[in-house]
Amino acid sequence: MTLTSRLDLETAQLRRLEQVSLIEATTLVLLVCVAVPLKHLAGWPLGVAVIGPVHGLAFLTFGGVAIQTVAGGGWRRGETARLLLLAVVPFGGYFNLALIRRKRTELEIPLAS
Amino acid sequence: MPDALYPWLKAAHVAAVIAFVSGLLAGAIALAAVQSDRFPAAVSAAFIQAVRTWDRRVTTPAILLVWALGLTLALQGHWFRSVWLPAKLAIVLALSAWHGVQSGMLRRLVGGATAAASPWRGFVPLAILIAVLAVVVLAVLKPL
Repeated sequence: MTLTSRLDLETAQLRRLEQVSLIEATTLVLLVCVAVPLKHLAGWPLGVAVIGPVHGLAFLTFGGVAIQTVAGGGWRRGETARLLLLAVVPFGGYFNLALIRRKRTELEIPLAS
Repeated sequence: MPDALYPWLKAAHVAAVIAFVSGLLAGAIALAAVQSDRFPAAVSAAFIQAVRTWDRRVTTPAILLVWALGLTLALQGHWFRSVWLPAKLAIVLALSAWHGVQSGMLRRLVGGATAAASPWRGFVPLAILIAVLAVVVLAVLKPL
């Protein structure tokens, strides 16, 4: 197995994490900032009934992909904690995207040097 | 959601559980096997690649289905008021997390890393079986 294919595997995994992180963050924002206020202020519960389970599944998917990624190695404890904690904070998941992109860049450095 | 759909959801849930548990066990046994001296390196590489492909295409989608269908069943059956369900969820969460760790290990091995020797790796399949047994007992007998 060459170093390039190892790089490809990790890059593809980080791309998956980036995608599910974006979906998780967006569904959390939609739930907390749109659906919940609509339920309590406008008496419209359908938004929570739809977005709630969608976000639940998105969060579980994110959790699974995050563990898969971290278990592959190369993550410091602080980075792992940040990845998982920001995911439960509204808009926090968007800050994870920068971390994931940085990890992708770090992967490419050994090949460039 | 119509009540007539409940048994169909249950059947799909059980099928997804079988796919997940079989994949999880296959991965655990494969990881234990490649650490032994009996496996030549060339065989290990092809074997681990096949196990990882199965993990990505079957086991990972299966665990997502397990959660989606299981939570739907729990909501529809009003099972969240019971004690056995949170106990069962805790075990399933642990199995799901272990699957994530195992997937990461398989990816590392496919990428060329060598399997780190671990004295307890051989006990992982047994631990998975015991956890699955506990889940089945809780789900079928609903003792609490």
